[in-house]
This record gives sequence, structure tokens and C-alpha cells, in this order.
Amino acid sequence: MAFEKFFNPESVALIGATEDPKKITSMIMKNLIEMGFEGRLVPVNPKYKEVFGFMCYSSLLDIKEQIDLTVIAIPSNLVPEVLRQQAICGIKNAIIVSGGFGELGDKGIALEEEIKSISKEEGISVMGPNCIGVLDNYSNFSSSFLPWTKVKRPAKGNLSILSQSGSFATCVLDMLSQEGMGVSKVVNYGNRADVGESEMIEYLMDDESTYVIGIYMESVDDGRRFIDASSSCSKSKPIVALKVGRRDSGIEAVRSHTGAIAGKYEIYKAAFKKSGIIEVNGFTEFLDACKVLLMQKPARGNKILIITNGGGVGVVVSDMCSVNGLDVVSTPSNVKEVLSKHFPEFFILNNPIDLTGSAGDEDYDTALKIALVENDYFDAAIIIPLMHPQTMTEGVVDIISQSAKESGKPVVICTISGIYTKKIKELFESKGLPVFPSPERSVKAMNILVERGKMDGC
Amino acid sequence: MVVETARNKAAEKIVEKILVSGRKIALPDESLEIVKLFGIDVPDCALVKTAREAVEVSKEIGFPLVLKIASPDALHKSDMGGVAMDLKNVQEVERSYNKVIDNLKRNVPNARIAGVLIQKQMPEAAHLIVGGLYDEQFGPTVMFGLGGVFVELFKDVSFRIAPVTETEALEMVKEIKAYPVLSGYRGAKMLDITQLTQTIVNISELISNINAIKEVELNPLFVYEKDVSAVDARIILK
Repeated sequence: MAFEKFFNPESVALIGATEDPKKITSMIMKNLIEMGFEGRLVPVNPKYKEVFGFMCYSSLLDIKEQIDLTVIAIPSNLVPEVLRQQAICGIKNAIIVSGGFGELGDKGIALEEEIKSISKEEGISVMGPNCIGVLDNYSNFSSSFLPWTKVKRPAKGNLSILSQSGSFATCVLDMLSQEGMGVSKVVNYGNRADVGESEMIEYLMDDESTYVIGIYMESVDDGRRFIDASSSCSKSKPIVALKVGRRDSGIEAVRSHTGAIAGKYEIYKAAFKKSGIIEVNGFTEFLDACKVLLMQKPARGNKILIITNGGGVGVVVSDMCSVNGLDVVSTPSNVKEVLSKHFPEFFILNNPIDLTGSAGDEDYDTALKIALVENDYFDAAIIIPLMHPQTMTEGVVDIISQSAKESGKPVVICTISGIYTKKIKELFESKGLPVFPSPERSVKAMNILVERGKMDGC
Repeated sequence: MVVETARNKAAEKIVEKILVSGRKIALPDESLEIVKLFGIDVPDCALVKTAREAVEVSKEIGFPLVLKIASPDALHKSDMGGVAMDLKNVQEVERSYNKVIDNLKRNVPNARIAGVLIQKQMPEAAHLIVGGLYDEQFGPTVMFGLGGVFVELFKDVSFRIAPVTETEALEMVKEIKAYPVLSGYRGAKMLDITQLTQTIVNISELISNINAIKEVELNPLFVYEKDVSAVDARIILK
């Protein structure tokens, strides 16, 4: 598969390798050693005979064996020469970590153009320059120079992240591990001289361990190719996009009203729509959308059941649903009738179903079974188990997750509060139910499932 | 397929003529002719070059009539007194012909004048806008929205990447905030959503097929209970 060598290379040459802790190349190599990367590491630097115990070569040209990928982190003016050498050696892939290219203005732009033309002429796939490169959580390969002691590496999982920004990719990575979300691959392509999001979407479409793709996007490499790639990928794997730089309006030479209204962002929105991409606003929504899509299936409609033991919070969730176009439709009378046989008179059976402060675990069991499992009226449910009453125990986690599973419908949990609740959150998520710490976030997450459900074939 | 090719060729021929004359902006009659080729209904019209010709043509088309200045230097015609409406007889046509020309000369000295477009005046209707735009990143796109003079103020519009299917075009129509007004809000008449949708598809085809076009716009597009009519069209080349 094209680009496979960027993620799972059998041999990697590290250009500019050193043990000098001030240089990022030392960190890249240390990371790889710590991660237990099993491919061959080949340091290249004329200054050393050995780096971290690995034999060091003075030039790529001296290496006899086949190299799959170079990771280049040397001053930018020296990079073209390295690319030419790797062309001679028949090395087809390069990650250029070094900055000092297009982002610097005229001189840098000329250097970047040179890289592009070498890449094209010699058929070398280039990631970067000015990037962190990749993390593959399964092959234990990464070109990141950020120490894993400071950026916590997430567990193996099924989310892959594409990002033009290195800092965004790094922050997301750290947040994902804190949220307990598993990751397959992270790619940061920086200046995107060659490989960009379109190629990566094409690649991830066939990547077995990627179920959901999140993209941080400043601009697009090739609009039509991006639409084609995303359209086919999003049929089987949800794609979430955060588009930034939205105020950059300005389609030039505007003479018609159409031209005057059409900011670039409006066109991006149209492109996302065409591609089946779910667009989100901001960092939190980005993470929440990826999380809910990983953990729950799409909703077939927007009739949402709310069950809680805290009336006030239930109403907040209900209001947020209306704002987001979700329908908190009344509990059907036949369902109410059955519920009323099991519950005291002061429970509120209209949607939201309010089990009140006197409810315990078993009341959730009853309510869920009757309203969601045995009845097919609602499309999805937001459950708000507030853990404060004495009658509520950890046992409610099993009860809710069991019913959610039996119903075959997507369920999102909203829990609000402190340390005890946090423990409950982890229990829920270990059972595959996503938990969000506020009404707003739970409802927005549910809305993502409804949006996804509206798409073709979902 | 053959029909489509002939249609594209005819449109490209007009485009070629515009380019040869060193212009990027099509004249009103040229714009209307191109959109008509793509199946869009436009009111009967003709370009005339003298007051006498205007009078002759006005009898053929029938009253009431609108006169619009045709000049590459008058993109927003009504802003410079280049439009005369409600003309009910030949005397009014003759007087207005001279007036729109004088107005342009006064407002834009040295303006090039190609003539005056004489057009059947359509009954008042809902003003909508359908546009096509070639975007550097994504290629051909289409826009639909509330038209008329407030279009840039309210920006009640929807965009899609072209080409669009009928289903997508219908989504675009339903997406704008003013949709209820088009579909019979509080006892209002339901407008011809089918023709509206078809018009969006037609503009999508136009912007996707004729490569030299940068922007195309029907504004206002009059929409009735039955039928639509593009009373004004604007085309700008790349």
C-alpha cells in the first residue's frame, strides 16, 4: 500500500542523528528507542561513529542495505542535497522535520520549490517540511521530537488524526490519552510540499485499525481530489473536520453578488457537505465528535429520549436538544402506561423521564427496558445518572450499558460533578458508553450521531 | 449528449465573441442568451441601438416593457439610472431610451455603450438569486438565496460544490431561512420549487461546462406559483 513505509518502515535513516540533547534529532531517536520500535534505526551524521549505540554513517551513500524512509532534521539549506542522495540510493520516502522553508518567505519558498521538484523528478514521497511527521501506535514508529514524558502517548485504538499544525496534533494527542481514547495514527504534514490530507485520507480509508478520522485543516491541497477521497472514505469511516482561518474571506475580483458573499469558508463548508464530512467548531467539539463516533453507532433519526434522576439537569439537556434540532418528543401514551405500573406517582414520565432524587439503580433498569429496549419509538437516548443520592451505586453502570446494548440504539451519558463522578465516567467508558461532563457537550455529541445517521449508507 | 454538446458550443461561441472584443464582462443580452441556452426561462428581449429601433421592437414584444442600458462599464445598471421600468407605450419607450443613455453618459463619462436592452416586463414576484462561481480551490460551485438588493445584507444563501443533483439543489432551497416564505408560510402561495430547483441544476451545469466563466448570476430570479423567470443575468469571465 502506498505510504505504508511512512508508518511501518522496516528501516529508517535518521539524518543529522546526534546524542546532543539540544538537538531535536536526539529526541526523535530516543523516542523511537523508548517506544520499542522494531525496525532498523540507521543514524547518519559525518561527525559520529556511533549514536545511542547504533552504528552511524557519514552519508546515505555509505549505507549498503535497503532503507525505507529517511527522517531529516538538519538545517534547511542542506536538505535538497540529502534528497538527491536518497534518490541515488533508491529511498522513496522522506519526512522532512526541518523548518526554514515556505513559512520563512522568499528564500525559504525557493528551497521548498527545490524540494518539490526533486520529489517529483525522483519519485520521492515527501512529508513536510516543517512538520512532526507521523505516529503509528501499532508499529511503534514516530518521527516526533516531543518527549513522551511530556506528551502522553495514547493507547492503541481506532482514531486517526490528520493535522496541518504540529502543535494542534500534539495537543490532541495529549488530550486523547487523558480522555482514555485510543489512537491508531497521527499525521502532521506541515508545509505539505508533497503529501497532504487527500493522500492520507486515501491511505487511511484502507487502514484496518482506523475507524474514525479527525482532520485539523487550514487549507486544502487539491480541492477536487480531497472531495473525491473524502467522499469515498466517509461512506465507511466518519470524518470529522475542524476548519480554521475562517475569516480569511476574499475571493478576489468579485464583481457579482455571488462573488461578494462567497467567502472561502462558505466554499469549504460546501465541500465538506459534498464529501460527507462532519464539521465541528473548536477543540472540544472536535474531540467529543471523534469520541462519540468511535464509541457509538449513528442514530437513525432525531427522536431523543432523556432519562435522569435530576429534573433540573434533564430540562437543561432538553433545552439544548431543541437548540440543536433534536426532538425531545413526548413519551408515547402506551409506554407511559407501562411505566406508571412500575413507578410511584411522583416520577415524571413525560420526556425527559425524571426518576427524581429517590431513584436507585433498578429504576434506571425499569425505565430503560420499557422505553428504549421493549419499545422502538425513540431513536437514541441521553441518560443523565446523577450519582449523588445514596440509592445510586456503581451498579447503575452495568444496568445502563446492558440496556443500551440490548436496545441497539446509540446512547450518550451525561454526568456532571466531581471526583466520584469521574470514577463512574471511567466505568461507563470501559463499557463502551461515551460520557460527557455537561449538558451542552452531551447534546452536541448526540447531534453528531444524528448528523452521521442522515448521511448516505449510514 | 449531442444536444449538450451543441448547447456548450453555442455558449462557448458567445464567450469567444466577448473575449475577442477584449471584455471580461458579458453584456446583459449576452448573459441572458447564454443562460437561456442552459434551459433558463428569460423574458422576451432584444438589444437595440437607436430610439427608432427601440420603438419598432417594443411593438413586437408588447407592453409593459423595461429598458436596460447595455454597457461594459455599467455592471450595476440601476445604480446609475440605467434602467427604466413600467413603459406602457411607444412614446415612453422613445423618451426612456434617450434618458438611460444620457444617465450613463452623465454618471460614467466615456462609458462604452453597446445599446439598450429592451425587455418584456414581468409581473412582480419573489426575488431570488441563483449564482455560479469558479473557486480556485474547489472548482465550480453554486449558490442559491434570497435575491434582490438585500442579498449582501442578509446573506441568506446556501452553497454547494457543482455539479449538483436535483436532490442537492432542493436541499439548497430548503436550507435558507426564508424557505417558509417560498413554501406557503401563513397562507402565502406555494412557489414553483420544482422550477427553482431545476434552475439551480441548470446554473450548476453552466458553470461546470463552460470553463471560461468565473461567475454567473441570475439576480433577481422571479419565482411564481408556476414558472420562474430570470429578469437579469450577469456573467463574468476568468
